[in-house]
Amino acid sequence: MNLEHELRAALRRKSPAPGLAERVLARAHEVPERRPVRRAPWAVAASLLLAVTLAGWGAHRRAEGERAREQVLLAMRIAGSKVAYAQQQVRGISK
Amino acid sequence: MYAILEARDAGVDTLQRARQGDHEAFAEIVGSHESMVYGLAYHFFQDRGRGEEIAQDVFLQLYRSLDSIESPSHLLFWLRQVTSRRCIDAVRRAKIARPVPLEAVELQSVIKDADPFLERKLRQLVADLPEAQRLVITLRYQEDLDPAEICRIVEMPINTVKSHLHRALTALRKKLGDH
Repeated sequence: MNLEHELRAALRRKSPAPGLAERVLARAHEVPERRPVRRAPWAVAASLLLAVTLAGWGAHRRAEGERAREQVLLAMRIAGSKVAYAQQQVRGISK
Repeated sequence: MYAILEARDAGVDTLQRARQGDHEAFAEIVGSHESMVYGLAYHFFQDRGRGEEIAQDVFLQLYRSLDSIESPSHLLFWLRQVTSRRCIDAVRRAKIARPVPLEAVELQSVIKDADPFLERKLRQLVADLPEAQRLVITLRYQEDLDPAEICRIVEMPINTVKSHLHRALTALRKKLGDH
């Protein structure tokens, strides 16, 4: 058996069911070609505005957090100095 | 010689008319190439439904890409390449199960019998090959392309194409010889 000869016979071209062109054309007119999405200018502007607002809000929150942290540290420093002063006073009384 | 030139001119004219929206010209193009496109997909999947689906998708893509087709020979190359890509993409996307391997007893009886049965079984054996081997074997024997032409279509190095062909033929001989 000549395998290559047999393969040529087995794999010869094959016709589809009649009317392929009509089916393709029907699909071409049924399904509109997908075009790149064109965004409206107002939508782009709104997205930008939202992004800027969110970024600003995030920065504001970070600044608030930083301020609160500084206040806590200051309070701790004050409390520390008060405690040290009180200890000094207690040591003075006990002498 | 004149007949060849006339046929080429007719192909150019049909392509030109199809580009301008002439549906009859497009149908003419489909009619000229449908057995090639459908055959490649059918032999790749061994499935009429898949063959029809791929053929429709390929010609639909052609309909939308007519402006990029430069000549009848470019059209033929384009159709072979797009069909090959769609077959490979479909099998990778859906991970389609390959056909069930043949039963030994069935094949043995076929080889001794008439050629149509051998052809059918050979097609099933081809469909059972790994996808790259299946594709190059189909392009080689359905389209009678040499490895240099196949490597341009499937965009593989020529040695890879030769290797796939060699492995596929060896596997087919072995499977036939085993039975």
